[in-house]
Amino acid sequence: MGAHSRENTLDFLQVAKDLLPSGASYDACVGCGICASGCPASGLFGMDPRRFINMAMLGMNEELSTTPWVWACTQCKRCAYLCPMGIDVSLLVGAARGAWPTEDKPSGIVRSCAAQRLDESTSAMGLMSEDFVEIVEETVEELKENDSRFADLKVPIDKKGAKFVINQNSREPATEPEEMAPLWKILDYVGADWTYASKGWAAENFCMFTGDLDAWKDMVETRVNAINALECETWINTECGHSFFTLWAGIEKFGLEANFEAESLVTYYAQWIREGKLPVNSDWNKGNLKFTVQDPCQLVRKSIGDQAADDLRFVVKTLVGEENFIDMQPCRSANYCCGGGGGFLQAGMSKERRAYGKRKFDQIIATEADYVLTPCHNCHSQIDDVGEHFGGAYTVTHLWTLICLSLGILGPDERKYLGPDLADINLPEGT
Amino acid sequence: MKRGTRRIETQLAVIGTGIAGFAASIFALQRGLDVAQFGHSGAMAYTTGYLDLLGVHDQRVRTDPWAALDDLRRDEPHHPMSGLGNQTIRTAFDGFTDALGEMGIGYTRAGERNLSGLLPNGIAKPTLSVPDTMLAGITALETGARTLVIDFDGLQGFSAKAFEVNFAERWPALRSARLTFPGMENRQVFPEVLARSLETRATQDALAEAIRPLLNGAEYVGLPAILGMHAPDAVLARMQEAIGVKLFEIPTIPPAVPGIRLRECFERAFPEMGAKLEPQLKVANVEFGVSGATLYLHGPMEDLQVEASAVLLATGRFLSGGLRSDQHRLSETLLDLPIRQPEGRQEWFRREYLDPRGHPVNRLGVEVDSTFRPIGPDGDPVHEKLFAAGAILAHQDWARQRCGAGLAIATAYSATEAATAALG
Repeated sequence: MGAHSRENTLDFLQVAKDLLPSGASYDACVGCGICASGCPASGLFGMDPRRFINMAMLGMNEELSTTPWVWACTQCKRCAYLCPMGIDVSLLVGAARGAWPTEDKPSGIVRSCAAQRLDESTSAMGLMSEDFVEIVEETVEELKENDSRFADLKVPIDKKGAKFVINQNSREPATEPEEMAPLWKILDYVGADWTYASKGWAAENFCMFTGDLDAWKDMVETRVNAINALECETWINTECGHSFFTLWAGIEKFGLEANFEAESLVTYYAQWIREGKLPVNSDWNKGNLKFTVQDPCQLVRKSIGDQAADDLRFVVKTLVGEENFIDMQPCRSANYCCGGGGGFLQAGMSKERRAYGKRKFDQIIATEADYVLTPCHNCHSQIDDVGEHFGGAYTVTHLWTLICLSLGILGPDERKYLGPDLADINLPEGT
Repeated sequence: MKRGTRRIETQLAVIGTGIAGFAASIFALQRGLDVAQFGHSGAMAYTTGYLDLLGVHDQRVRTDPWAALDDLRRDEPHHPMSGLGNQTIRTAFDGFTDALGEMGIGYTRAGERNLSGLLPNGIAKPTLSVPDTMLAGITALETGARTLVIDFDGLQGFSAKAFEVNFAERWPALRSARLTFPGMENRQVFPEVLARSLETRATQDALAEAIRPLLNGAEYVGLPAILGMHAPDAVLARMQEAIGVKLFEIPTIPPAVPGIRLRECFERAFPEMGAKLEPQLKVANVEFGVSGATLYLHGPMEDLQVEASAVLLATGRFLSGGLRSDQHRLSETLLDLPIRQPEGRQEWFRREYLDPRGHPVNRLGVEVDSTFRPIGPDGDPVHEKLFAAGAILAHQDWARQRCGAGLAIATAYSATEAATAALG
C-alpha cells in the first residue's frame, strides 16, 4: 500500500479539537499507555494508540496521515473505553482514513463501498435489488417444498406497515441462500409481522470504513429513506455488528429523519424467549458441549452497551445450558475486537489481521469451548479464520442455527456451521 | 428514531470506579442495599495491587500500621481515617480482601505489621495486604533466599537487572536473567499482553520450559506481574508446579496487570452480585430533590437517568477527574462542592518538590462531617443523602502517607454505614 501525497496531510490537533468529546483533549493525556496495552493493533506497522497521540502532539502530521496502521485499527473504541481522559483514537483514525486518496486506500474496502453505491439495494457484494428479491423468492419456494411444516411460511418484501423491517447480510443471498432459512423459520415461529425491504436491505456498510463521510451518509440516507417509506415501527438489524452502528450513528451524525426505532435482533431473540414465543432449551446438548460468545464491539461497546451483552448471554445460556457457557475474559463492553472489524477483513492485510486476531484466539482457547457463537458476520469470518490459522479446534456458529437446532426445525442443509458432533442432532422429523 | 432515555432506580448510586467506589458497592451490597455504580476507567490500572493501610507517619516508615493509626488520630485529627477506630478499619479491610478472594483474586489478610512489598525498581515499601501471587517474594527478601528474577525482551518498565542491582546489598543471593517470551519475539510487549497470553496452557507450558534451565539452584523465581488476568492464583499454582520452585510476582509500572485484574474482576463479578454497574459511563450531572437525586449519563446510543435515594461520591482526585484546578483555584467537578483552600496558588506548593512534608495542595479536597457527608462553609451537610469517600476527601496525602487503599476502604465502609442508616 503506497503512502499518499502531502497535500492530504491533516492537522491532527485541529481534528482532535473538532472530533473529541467535550472534556477530552490531547493535553490531558498523561502517556500512561493503558490504551496501547489494551489494544490488539499495538505494534502493527510500528504504531499504537499512545504513539498516535504522542505523534499528534508533536505535530507529526505527515507520518500520521500516511501510516497504514489506520487500516489495522478496527475503530473498536476499546482505547476510548479504557482512557481515563476519554481520548478516542478511533475518531482520529476515521479522519485519517478519509484523507487518503481513494487509489491508495485498501482496494477491498473501496470496492465494497463502490458496490454498495451501484443501486439502491446497498449490497457490498453488488447484489441488485431485483436479484435479491428473486433469490429470496426461490429460496422460500425450495424451503416450502422441502419442509411441509413450513408450507405456509411467508417472507414478505416491501410490506408497508409491517411491525418490523429486517435487514439481511449479503453473504447469504449471494453465496449461501439456504442460510437465510433459519431466521425465516424463527420469525415464522414467533409469528412476527415483518418484512424485508427491496431497497437498502443489505446489512453491511463499508462506506463508513473508507473514511469517506459523504459515502457513509449516502448509504445511510438510502437505507433510511427505504425504511421510512415502509412505515414500519422498528428496524431490526440482523446478526451483524457494524451495519447496526453505521445506521444509528449515521442518523445521529448526519441529522437524518428516521421514523422508526433501531433495534438488534439479539434483543428480540431474548424478548421472544422471555415471552415464551421461542421455547428453546438445552435438552439437545446431551454431550455438554461448551460454548463461548463473542460480544461484537459495534453492537455492545459502541452501541447498546452491556444490556446487549446481558441479552446475548441470556439467549446463549438458555440455548446451551448455563453450565455449558463459558465467558471469554475480558468480555461484554470490555471485550477485545476480533480483528475482523473496521474493514480489516477486506483490507488485504492477512498477516497483520491474524497477528491482531491472536489475542482473540488466545481468549477463546483459554475458555476451552467447543463452539464460538458470534452474532456478527465479520466476527464470524475472522474468528473462523484465526481458528484455522493458529490451529484451534473450535467451530463458529450463528445464533439462528442453534435456535433452530434447539426447536428441532434446523434442516440438514442448514448445518454447515455446525461441527460433526451436531450434524445429526435434533433433525426435523421426516428429513 | 429519537435518542432514548433508559431510567433506573436505585437506593444508593455510587459515583466512581476506583478502589473506594468498588469497596463502597461491596459494603452496600453486604448491607442489603440496592446499588448502582457509575464511572469510567479512572486510575485503577495504575495500582501496584498492594493494599496499603498506613505506611508512613510523621515522615517515618512505620512497621505497625495500627500503632501508626493511633498516632495519626493524635497528630492529624482531621484526617479522614482519624474518626474511625482500629477495629472498624480492620473490619472494613478484611471485608474488602475477603470479597476479593470470593471474586477470584486471593489477598493476604490484614496482619499486625506492614509487609515489605517489592517494587519493580528493586526497593520495598510498607503495605498491609498483598495479592497471594506476590507473597512469596516478600518471604524470599526476608530470608535472603536464592532467587532468580526474570524479565523479557521488549518488555518496558521492568528490568530484572535493575531489580537485582538495587537489591544487591540487602539480598546478595538474588540473580537476574532475560528471556524471550514465547510467541512474542522481536516486538515491544506490555505486561497485559503477556498476562493474556498466559491464560492459555500452551503459553504456561512454554514459559515454564524456558525458565527451568535457568534455575541453577534458585529456591524462588520472581516474574513481573503477568501470571494471567482472571485466575492468577491458579496460573501461579500451575506454573509453580511446572517449574518446580516457588514463584512470585513483582508489580510493574503502569499500566500494570494487578490493577487491570481488579477492575476486570469487579466488572465480571458485580452483575452476578446484583449490582448495576456501568463502568464506562461518566455521570454528567446530578440534581438533588426532596427524596434523593437524579443522575444523568450519556451512553453511546441512549441516555441514562438514575433515580437514587442516596449518592456516594468516590470520584478521586485530579487523575480520575474528581477534582480539577485552574491557575487560581481548585474545584470539585461534578457538584461544585465547596473546597476550603488558600487564597492563592502560591500556597499550594512548598519550595522543594521532594519536601518530606509534602505539598499543601495534596491535602485539599472535600470536607465531610462525622458521617462522611460533604459540608458547606457553615459546617452543615450539603445534602442529607450525599456521602463521599476515598481520595477526594480533604486532610490526607495518601500517596505520601502510603494509605491509599486504607483510606478508600475504611471511608467507603463508614460512608456506606452512614448511607444505610440514612436510608432507614
